[in-house]
Amino acid sequence: MTQPASSDRMPRDNRRREQVAVFSIAQYSFAISSASIQEIRSTDSLGGTVVELDRPVLRKVRHIVERDARSYYVVSGYEHFHLPPSRPTTVLILRNAPVAVLVDRIEEMAEMRVLLALPQSFRGEERIWYRGLTVLERKVLPVVDPLGFLTTGERQQLEEQNPGLLLTAAVSRHER
Amino acid sequence: MTAETSTLVPSFVVFHVGTRRVALSRDWVSELIASPLLFSFPHTTPLITGVVLRRGRIVPVLDLGPGVLGAPSPATRFFLVVERHLSNSSERCAIPVQGECELLAGIMLPSMRQEEFVTGYLELNEEQIDVLDLEKAIAAGVRSHEEPIHGTEALS
Repeated sequence: MTQPASSDRMPRDNRRREQVAVFSIAQYSFAISSASIQEIRSTDSLGGTVVELDRPVLRKVRHIVERDARSYYVVSGYEHFHLPPSRPTTVLILRNAPVAVLVDRIEEMAEMRVLLALPQSFRGEERIWYRGLTVLERKVLPVVDPLGFLTTGERQQLEEQNPGLLLTAAVSRHER
Repeated sequence: MTAETSTLVPSFVVFHVGTRRVALSRDWVSELIASPLLFSFPHTTPLITGVVLRRGRIVPVLDLGPGVLGAPSPATRFFLVVERHLSNSSERCAIPVQGECELLAGIMLPSMRQEEFVTGYLELNEEQIDVLDLEKAIAAGVRSHEEPIHGTEALS
């Protein structure tokens, strides 16, 4: 995995590189490590069963999707980044978290050569959202932290308000 | 940028934030840059309008308008790169400015203004130009954003 470099200077070209998927939500583009994605599916072909949360304590999470004996919290990308409503057509199913993220579309797969630390002047939620910034084709893009879509605290909050739902969904799917 | 240099008196960079002409100690200022590409992405930090790439460095763009004018600055082609002194380190930031900047030497006189981010003033051709404390001007802008309205809330 690419190590964050200081935002002061871009290091030279002898670094490890990282494959990323570039996706868009509204007018913004983001990069995310390809290694953190298990599947990329169209919302039309996702399959599985969608279960509505009894208590949607987080605005960005209203559903769970069950597929292949696993359940995932469905995180709205535009709600997560506090953007105006967009038209998600693609789902990123993450590998190391029970999270499926709704995004507008995948723009490209690319090779990230540098990961720059987010400048210290940024002090808000973006410090949770992003691993840092990168430069692809002379554009600066934020590199999303996959674990930032649903923090441990947020997941705990969902589980407390909807006890056993993720587990029940997985078990019922398994029994079918 | 015109220069009136003197080794005996301190120097200030005079510039416009929107319609207001203000000054910063030259010690804070690194350079003036024109027409950099401004890259923006979602975040929740007040005053930051995006970042620019400058000589391989990521430089956040901080608008002083909300603190100094009470409103965001108009779009611009010019940015003053300044050195912020944060808690444990320093960081370069770009401030959008309108029109030309001047470098001038002069004595700062104490200000009678109520605005806490004004540390004094300079006299230039019978005009009084307020000298800013950069961090206090930023803090004033942040306070004006204390109750942000996010895009989704505004539309719902």
